Amino acid sequence: MKNERELIIEEAEKLRWEVGDNLHDSLLESIYKSAEEISRKVVSRNDAGKISRKNIDHLIDKIVTNKWTGLPIMFLLLAAVFWITIVGANYPSSFLAKVLVDTLHPLMKDLFVSLSSPEWLTGALIDGGYLAVAWVVSVMLPPMAIFFPLFTLLEDFGYLPRVAFNMDGIYKRVGAHGKQALTMSMGFGCNAAGVIAARIIDSPRERLVAIITNNFSLCNGRWPTQILIASIFIGNLVPPYLAGIASAGAVVSIAVLGVVFSLIVSWGLTRTVLKGEPSAFSLELPPYRPPRILQILYTSLIDRTIFVLWRAIVFAFPAGIVIWSVANINVGGISIAEHFIDWANPYAMLIGLNGVIILAYIIAIPANEIVIPTILMLTVLSLKISGIGAGAGVMFEMDNPADVAQLLKLGGWTALTGINLMLFSLLHNPCSTTIYTIYKETKSIKWTLVATLLPIVLGILVCYATTQLWYLFT
Amino acid sequence: MNTTHDLKNLVKLGIDMTNVDFIVALAGNPNTGKSTVFNSLTGLQQHTGNWPGKTVTRTEGAFSYLGHKYKIVDLPGTYSLLSTSTDEEIARDFILFGKPDVTIIVADATRLERNLNLTLQVLEITDRAILCLNLIDEARRHNITVDHVKLSEILGIPVVPTAARQKEGIPELLETIHKVVTGETKCNPYRVNTNFRDIAPAVEKLESKIKVLFPELPNTRWIALRLLEGDQKIIDAVRSGEIGKLIFEEMEG
Amino acid sequence: MTLYFILLTVLIVLMAIWIKKMWGRRWKISDKELTEDALKHLYNSEENKTDTDENTLSKVLSISTKRAAKLIKKLEASGLTQNVDGKQKLTNNGRSYALKIVRVHRLLEKYFAENTSINETEWHKIAEEKEHRIDENKARELAMQLGNPLRDPHGDPIPTAKGEIYSHNGIPLSKLETNDFGNIVHIEDEPKNLYKEISESGIYPGMQIQIKDKFKDGIEIKGDGKNKFISNEAADNISIVPLNKDEIIKQDYQPLSSLEVGEEAEVVGISKALRGMQRRRLLDFGIVPGTRIRAFLKSLGNDPVAYELRGTLIALRKNQSDYIFIRKIGNDK
Repeated sequence: MKNERELIIEEAEKLRWEVGDNLHDSLLESIYKSAEEISRKVVSRNDAGKISRKNIDHLIDKIVTNKWTGLPIMFLLLAAVFWITIVGANYPSSFLAKVLVDTLHPLMKDLFVSLSSPEWLTGALIDGGYLAVAWVVSVMLPPMAIFFPLFTLLEDFGYLPRVAFNMDGIYKRVGAHGKQALTMSMGFGCNAAGVIAARIIDSPRERLVAIITNNFSLCNGRWPTQILIASIFIGNLVPPYLAGIASAGAVVSIAVLGVVFSLIVSWGLTRTVLKGEPSAFSLELPPYRPPRILQILYTSLIDRTIFVLWRAIVFAFPAGIVIWSVANINVGGISIAEHFIDWANPYAMLIGLNGVIILAYIIAIPANEIVIPTILMLTVLSLKISGIGAGAGVMFEMDNPADVAQLLKLGGWTALTGINLMLFSLLHNPCSTTIYTIYKETKSIKWTLVATLLPIVLGILVCYATTQLWYLFT
Repeated sequence: MNTTHDLKNLVKLGIDMTNVDFIVALAGNPNTGKSTVFNSLTGLQQHTGNWPGKTVTRTEGAFSYLGHKYKIVDLPGTYSLLSTSTDEEIARDFILFGKPDVTIIVADATRLERNLNLTLQVLEITDRAILCLNLIDEARRHNITVDHVKLSEILGIPVVPTAARQKEGIPELLETIHKVVTGETKCNPYRVNTNFRDIAPAVEKLESKIKVLFPELPNTRWIALRLLEGDQKIIDAVRSGEIGKLIFEEMEG
Repeated sequence: MTLYFILLTVLIVLMAIWIKKMWGRRWKISDKELTEDALKHLYNSEENKTDTDENTLSKVLSISTKRAAKLIKKLEASGLTQNVDGKQKLTNNGRSYALKIVRVHRLLEKYFAENTSINETEWHKIAEEKEHRIDENKARELAMQLGNPLRDPHGDPIPTAKGEIYSHNGIPLSKLETNDFGNIVHIEDEPKNLYKEISESGIYPGMQIQIKDKFKDGIEIKGDGKNKFISNEAADNISIVPLNKDEIIKQDYQPLSSLEVGEEAEVVGISKALRGMQRRRLLDFGIVPGTRIRAFLKSLGNDPVAYELRGTLIALRKNQSDYIFIRKIGNDK
């Protein structure tokens, strides 16, 4: 019996040389021949009438891929999405901040004090953990809850695949897939969501490129940092009547720089480390369909917003505790934070930053949203000022940018620090939520490390170069 | 009870088989609403994990219908079962070696022709299948009609039109599952004509030898073709003799 | 201060370049690698019916003649080769060892062609480096993963795990007469410059070609609907199986990329130059001989183009549609 089985295998092995290697092709040919025959018998289409769906689809397609109308439509739609997100998120964000940070935070602190919990416990849990979570929720939730449904709406309608179709020419040149334009846009909302969105790219090499470069999209958590710093430092470099335009221009340039970096890095990656990954282009353009509003709300709120938010919260709480602890645990009379800041200052100066910024980016890793509050708190702490903020380890924000400017200038910030912070905010490691998501999506420590370290190395190089050039010319 | 599933292989594939009467596999192209069908069959009784040794996510769920307990496994969405990607290998091996009591193929009614590729490939390796003709509402909107009765006659398996998002057709799907697993409905699947002009003699030569060795095997031609394509899993299964156990339907019930 | 940093930067960059260069050079080749490369060389020269001695060996392996002579002694001593009338010949053991290395080499090339996006001109070089580090088990796994391929991407047969090999029965391209048809069965991948010439003119194993004209310095052939000129040296490195009249398939086809928007066509086939995942994707979309396909929509930059087939819209890049062959059907729009 056993022998006979081996004989069959040997026979097959021999016959394979007669058969050649076209078998796979022939097999699919015959399957599709059958499929064609069957569907001819059972499927009937009614495309009659001038305004049949097919004609409408074709008309829309012609407009969105037209040389003259295609690009303006794309930019207008994306700009509209961002505008609605930014404007619409303002009110609920400040409402959430009022409730979670201004009202609930003191209440909970009072509650802990009345339960006679030790000061360090109240500090770590409430001033640290809770406050970090409250901050993340209030600044992250509203924009995401607006951005994702709008984006999904365009996706569901069938427009986004056409964007990928139009943009593919550019992405092909850097070895990427046109759909990367979509994951990149998604990254402007949230990098973690952008990384998940890379699932729509089914070619392994192109998918990895999209995942690794998503961090170059300036995410929702980094826009406020950019706007604040630009209005303080860039606005000052030009006459007052130009301040608004100059700072807005600076923020947009940073975002565009991010896009440029994502293209350059894609190009570099596909020619070096990603050579070993297979690549196959395919892009289907589904028919347009009326968006299903309820379904969209459900998937974008539950699958995207809540999902990302939950991961952020999970990371924010322990990070909040760490933030509070480094500012409050003293070694030799001064806090760990100050030790670190003093130690890091000379190195940070090389790249035109300072110890406070470096420490803030390390401990505020769970969310870019809490970087500025952490910087403010650490600045106050290291300058040993009293009267500003809410005490060591308690993150805070200031309503008036002029006050922030004053505080930062006290901390030794110059226009160079501002510019470098803007660059570093674009080019640094992804937030911990994104890093974790990258690992989840790639299941590879190697690619997670590449995606984490590559931007920070780039950031250090770019800041270093900027600093040296600045000193050269001033 | 008229089960076909291979308990030992299923356990090897990481399926918890306690308290299960029937195993249902869910196959289909990507973007056919497969997961919506899955959700509407199982509700919240879901469990996700990984396929053993693979980084591909597996979702399985459970439901009861007319006193029987079902376990349903969501296979990775693929266009084919012939290629060498991990997803396709997982889907193929589950159907071939796990021998689920029924395999539901979810197809997009607006692109039937393309979806038939996978459907016909599934029918090469199992006898118990149901075609779930999903997105029938979209098809209607695009003025596409599919004669599902005729399709069922041609394919030799039940065809159930559904619009899973609206829960349309799900009760019928459940009933059909029940009928197939209990043997009330017999399947007689369509097999693709694979008489390629230039290689027919080679295939026939090999097929006849396999027939002698494994007389009960229903689709020896498919096995022959797989061997000629150098499919290692099938070569190993022939070598170990496991292929002889792949008798799809026990006729006596 | 500033100057110092600029200097430092320059220094670091220079260091990096130096390290990279050193890395690229093979400082010392291990004995195992040398032995294996020598066996492979012996195998190849036996196939090409040329002789091997320490001079040819030292040239191929870029080592000194002294070392080559030592190596030959070592090979003889370990029973891998024997001296026949002053010429080195492989023993049975030596041949099967050589075939194992050839097997790994060809499997690797197949792997690079099918499962990576490494450029065609680099396959051979990387395989040369990696072949020494892959044992029998790994080779078996690799073969399994690739579906036990019969030939490497150059059309060379891959030896079996037992060390058997089937040879192709092609003749050099130059033996064909003008207007004859043939199927390319093999392209020699060495020397590199000739292989580059061949692969860059878009010629690949499995391609059906016709000799259009013969010149003093080369041959003009037609394949995939295009005329190509190749030098005589390159033509000697291409093996071909002549085709009879009834085996010749449709010469009146054009690439899909030539289809204008609105035009309809029938697919004739997919070129063998589209391999691996790329090819399977297209097949899975239902792009097989006989498929009706219509160019539907151009994107902003005119590449990719969306095609309508089997009721779906699929966008294809030009580097794909160049390799899908069609026959146009009369316009209906």
